[in-house]
Amino acid sequence: MKALWQNYRKNKLAQGIFLLLYIGITSLSLYLAQKSVTAFLLLLASLLLLYFTSFKNVTKWLIAGVVLVILLPFTASNGDGYQSYMEVATLVGIYISMALGLNVVVGMAGLLDLGFIAFFAVGAYSYGIFATAQANHFMPFGHYPLSGESFWIFILIGCFVAALFGILLGIPVLRVKGDYLAIVTLGFGEIIRIIFNNLDRPVNITNGAMGLPSVTPPSLFGIDFLYPSQFYYIVLIILVFTIFTVRRFEHSKIGRSWKAVRENEIAAQAMGVPLVKTKLMAFAIGASFSGMMGVVFAAKQAFVDPTSFTLLESITILVMVILGGMGSVPGVILGAAVMTILNLQVLTEITNWLNQLSTSGAISIPDALSPSKMQRMIFGLLLILFALYRPQGLLPAKNRKYDQKLLQKGSKEANGDSLREQSPIENAQEV
Amino acid sequence: MSILEVKNLTKKFGGLVATQDISMTVEKNSITAIIGPNGAGKTTFFNMITGVYQPTSGEILLESEKLNGLKPHIVCRKGIARTFQNIRLFNEMTVLENVMVGMHAHLKAGLFGILFNLPTTRKEELDSEIKAYQLLEYVGLEDFLNEKACNLSYGAQRRLEIARALAAEPKVLLLDEPAAGMNPKETTELTRLIRNMREEFNLTIILIEHDMRLVMEISEQIFVLDHGVKIAEGKPEYIRNNPKVIEAYLGTGAVHAG
Amino acid sequence: MLTEMIQNIPQVLIDGLTLGAVYAVIAIGYTMVYGILELINFAHGEIFMTGAFIGTAMLIVLTGIGWVSSVPTIIMLIVVLLFTAILTGLLGMGIERVAYRPLRNMPRLIPLITAIGVSFLLQDIVRFIAELKKGNYIVTGPSLFNSQLSIKASSISSIFTDATIKQSFVIVLIAAVLMMIGLDFFVNRTKWGMAMRAVAQDRDTAALMTINVNKVISITFFVGSALGGATGVLFAVQYGTIDPYIGFILGLKAFTAAVLGGIGNIRGAMFGGLLLGLLEMFASANLTLLSHGVFGAEYKDVFAFIILILVLLFKPEGLFGKPVTEKV
Repeated sequence: MKALWQNYRKNKLAQGIFLLLYIGITSLSLYLAQKSVTAFLLLLASLLLLYFTSFKNVTKWLIAGVVLVILLPFTASNGDGYQSYMEVATLVGIYISMALGLNVVVGMAGLLDLGFIAFFAVGAYSYGIFATAQANHFMPFGHYPLSGESFWIFILIGCFVAALFGILLGIPVLRVKGDYLAIVTLGFGEIIRIIFNNLDRPVNITNGAMGLPSVTPPSLFGIDFLYPSQFYYIVLIILVFTIFTVRRFEHSKIGRSWKAVRENEIAAQAMGVPLVKTKLMAFAIGASFSGMMGVVFAAKQAFVDPTSFTLLESITILVMVILGGMGSVPGVILGAAVMTILNLQVLTEITNWLNQLSTSGAISIPDALSPSKMQRMIFGLLLILFALYRPQGLLPAKNRKYDQKLLQKGSKEANGDSLREQSPIENAQEV
Repeated sequence: MSILEVKNLTKKFGGLVATQDISMTVEKNSITAIIGPNGAGKTTFFNMITGVYQPTSGEILLESEKLNGLKPHIVCRKGIARTFQNIRLFNEMTVLENVMVGMHAHLKAGLFGILFNLPTTRKEELDSEIKAYQLLEYVGLEDFLNEKACNLSYGAQRRLEIARALAAEPKVLLLDEPAAGMNPKETTELTRLIRNMREEFNLTIILIEHDMRLVMEISEQIFVLDHGVKIAEGKPEYIRNNPKVIEAYLGTGAVHAG
Repeated sequence: MLTEMIQNIPQVLIDGLTLGAVYAVIAIGYTMVYGILELINFAHGEIFMTGAFIGTAMLIVLTGIGWVSSVPTIIMLIVVLLFTAILTGLLGMGIERVAYRPLRNMPRLIPLITAIGVSFLLQDIVRFIAELKKGNYIVTGPSLFNSQLSIKASSISSIFTDATIKQSFVIVLIAAVLMMIGLDFFVNRTKWGMAMRAVAQDRDTAALMTINVNKVISITFFVGSALGGATGVLFAVQYGTIDPYIGFILGLKAFTAAVLGGIGNIRGAMFGGLLLGLLEMFASANLTLLSHGVFGAEYKDVFAFIILILVLLFKPEGLFGKPVTEKV
């Protein structure tokens, strides 16, 4: 058995065939059994399988692209469950993007931010206000709501406004030391929510607790985006952009300076890393993804109100990061997907099932025990269990491996008599 | 020619005086040692030079440029790098990445370049990888490039700290007890490394050290601190026989008895 | 405007002191734990909340038993306070044992995360039990000490209007003051209090001096949580209605009070609590007036946070703390 596994690990062909079979079977079963949530989830899980193959990165991306762009929407499109599947997939994408943003702040730069949802709120409100008649209340010029075409610009605006908020909040907050940061960001998250909740006077900017109804749907070439199946593609594009950006930063001097600040602030500073600038950058970049997704969220829900941006949401995203693995991009993607699906699908499914059992009289479950109400308990338990037993998360962060041969060659080329010969240290030591 | 000049440097923590009126001039390309009993204010002195603490009064001049009031990362940019008494590596990062962080100040890549992976950024990254690797070769750690820093042995961690500091291309290198916890063989190697570094990288080196053999063998000038005050300065042979120094280390009466 | 503000000063003082006393006792719990472990015990607000629920449950049960009605209410309250204190004290000790102790040598981020986890877990367990027993998680306890007293402030000077206080206010204030005096005595005059201060100063040296550090930490958690839980009961008596989510905001404000007084400093926490209570009540009474109706009492939570942030930025050592420099 073990030998077989070893063989499989080495044999790309076997991996390919297995993956293909898996994708084929799950997509076929989703196509045929439209009501099966299981088939839908299993098809999504093929991406995890893909992650563990030993294909080249480009191949992995291509396969993932085919599955997400073509296979998943197509096989799900056959029945009435289509929109609800796409709704789940869209939300998964939104949360992954936010979790990746928080991962920059918490995982890479080591700054515990408990008010992260505020940036999502800023994005959502920046589109919500201008894509409804709300802006007429305080804007001296222009006619509102803006047309659906403006949505595409607002994605960028959301990105920048959130980044700006990240910097504005960061300037005071980041001067606070260590553990206090957690509580101050938590405070700021609440402040922003309270402000949005009350900013219907003296000037009505956010329409307070009433929220902003009927947000204009995005439109492109005369087509309105109304359904989750359409938003799915917008989210997919932003998500790919997010992953791509995070990856780039992670392996750059900025990513290294984040990690250096996380590992040892004093040493990082002594090596020339500017503390405040580095932390602000983490805050701003992390926030910007949330801002973009906030805009999409506002458009998708067609309604914005402060109740979507509570502390519970901030903690949910934190759980995603911890569950997946702080600092690990693939881990956080997995964590966010698992948590969103758990939240939206699994808990509701179990609740429905229990309700059915209760109504049919098989067993009686008190309403208080309904799993969809137990989010806090589940999140709390997950946080405790992971911190205690697996603080590195499901897919721990891995350091980039450098190719020694390549560097050796480069070193020789750079100066014929390399520093190696100059070294007073005799030879590589035992470590 | 002097490179670093310190004038009347005083640091008080509340009512506690950590260093009082310390002045010293360090020659370019020299190796200078600062010695003194524990609690003499040596590390505080380093911390003031590198901007970790702001001096209560006094001046620090690097090539006649005032360093007072500058943040540590700016001081590093000006050309002073250091190692730490209690090793401060980026434990969860690889050995090579640790050295690359040292180059941070010299890398020019901007947000845009990183985001779009522009050719110049890519070139700079590759160059810095190679340079970091060369520095690892120099301190004999090249085979551990992908190892986490915390997995290195104690002596290797000390050498990695030196490589990281060298990556910042300093003019002045401050070593805070580089030989602490090393065995005699490692100390001998360190001695050679320090000498060689000065030639190879055209450095001025200031070290705090308790290993007197190392200090006497290597340094051209020695400053002795006791209770935050400079009690002596001069060449090794002068310091070796200075009664004040002996008294500071062994207590009153030691001179007469010895 | 000014006259209006002066008029309601007596009422503001009374309300502020009541609220401040509650903050003060909870702040002690934060400050003790932080002083000894340098950990923000996020779950402390939830311990307070759990105490409020345990106490209310006991009061409901006790007032339902026939012969108890012959016992004076105040005796009943004392019994309930003591029981709740012991239960929540044990709860706090348990939390430390399970969720914090195994993580003592981990990066600082990790125990903070378990603390948040514990806090969420407690909220939901309490909600679950309350909902199961009462059908609703918002619980109103039996009304005790409800008779109103009127303070004739107008008789002191005609500028003031009369203030009304519930009888329970007096009880809350007296009980809170007694707890604080008791704690002060415990920390400064007893063997265990001394051990606690020693561990807070330097854990390793204390351990070398044969102090059982783990035991001291357990005791710290017990005492802090017992006080927090008992305050929960007082809160429930004073304000009547409780829900599982009261601990969060209240805990945050108590933490603010602890920071205000200088974290790690017990007397500072008491003072910070009272000060914050007064400030907050003053703000919620006068914010509308001061801002000409632009901001109302709904911003009083924001007000507390802003105090927290300002203190952390400009005087992070608090009003009574000493500045600390990190050792390099």
